[in-house]
Amino acid sequence: MKLSQSSGVPIYQQVSDWFRDEILAGRYKQGEYLPSIRGLAKDLKISVITTIKAYETLEQEGLVTAVQGKGYYVNAQDSEMLKEQHMRKVETALQEAIKASKIAEISKEELLETLETLYDMDEE
Amino acid sequence: MNTELVINGTNIKKTFKNFELNIPELKIPKGFATALVGENGAGKTTLINILTGVKLDYKGSIRYFDKYTDADRETKPELKNAIGYTGTSQYFFPQWTAANIEEINTILFDSFSSEKFRAMCDELAIFPEGGFKGKVKVSEMSDGMKTKIALAGVWARDTQLLILDEPASPLDPLMRDKLNRMISEYIESGNGERSVFTSTHNIADMEAVTDYVIIMERGAIVEEGFVEDLKEKYVLVKGENTDADKAAPAMYTFNKSQHGWDGICLAENVDKLAGLDIVTETPSLSQICVAVMKQNSRLK
Repeated sequence: MKLSQSSGVPIYQQVSDWFRDEILAGRYKQGEYLPSIRGLAKDLKISVITTIKAYETLEQEGLVTAVQGKGYYVNAQDSEMLKEQHMRKVETALQEAIKASKIAEISKEELLETLETLYDMDEE
Repeated sequence: MNTELVINGTNIKKTFKNFELNIPELKIPKGFATALVGENGAGKTTLINILTGVKLDYKGSIRYFDKYTDADRETKPELKNAIGYTGTSQYFFPQWTAANIEEINTILFDSFSSEKFRAMCDELAIFPEGGFKGKVKVSEMSDGMKTKIALAGVWARDTQLLILDEPASPLDPLMRDKLNRMISEYIESGNGERSVFTSTHNIADMEAVTDYVIIMERGAIVEEGFVEDLKEKYVLVKGENTDADKAAPAMYTFNKSQHGWDGICLAENVDKLAGLDIVTETPSLSQICVAVMKQNSRLK
């Protein structure tokens, strides 16, 4: 994991992003435990509280479950769930596009046209 | 977050001629590294001396590990054995040798291991030729060496809480990095049972290992919390000078230069900056501490 102190992305988010990708890619299997909170904090040279926040973020997203005294294990990742996770990524990216088009006063029609053109170009 | 406390103080008061320490409630969470931050003269060492029993003429009560009181420090040896302390003042006599330091630790603390102590002295490169040199006198040691040998003494014991007063100040950058690793490893090996409380006036040195921070100014706690919570409470904002007059009233701290302004804003007030050309960032712990200290300091 490569953490950047100066990227503007909070450290806890960089940690949770990394584990999210690992889990969604299936490199962390269902039922497998994430590294211990204090062990990971030591290895990454970050504070314990940052690690806790990263794991809690994953828990809120339903990717892992916390067990008192034992740590966090990976939940079953059904296809519905995976689709949901990817849908969220799509929505965030589209919201960015809407925001940018509003600033530039690009109409909804023009935006949809651009989306279609880009989509078709990708298919070819 | 709901956490157990390793130290819980109530109404701690100590009055000097020109200075009063007044802390209605002191909370140090268990299983974490807590940093006590404040400018010179804020009362950090006074508070630590009260917690460690170096100073006994204070008012208020202190609970340790949720089961011992401050009176137990004298009567229950297991409490003294569970806490490791290093101070800033010289508490080794100058004529003592390294062997004397080893001897006194053996007498004072049940879990002190000479073997571990000598290994730590070697690991921390206290003696230039390495290893352990029992004949070296305290008077021959530099400030950095004295701090390192005090740390070696504490790390050679089996403790549950470390109280370290300005441990980083006399150390070089390499040893500060090593100290951070030692603190991380100590916390990790405790699996939630071991806590560290350090004071510092340079939080940047300890930013990576600090979980909870307590900021003191003029004898009082002016801000405290888990670092991740404070990073949500305060926002770093930068903007152009055309907006400076509109932005200034909503800011917590505000610095203006010829090419723009920046400062810390409370997250709840960021809405008041809506419509201005600004960028917001998550502040570092040092930036938060400096902003809070500035608001409460007499320093112009």
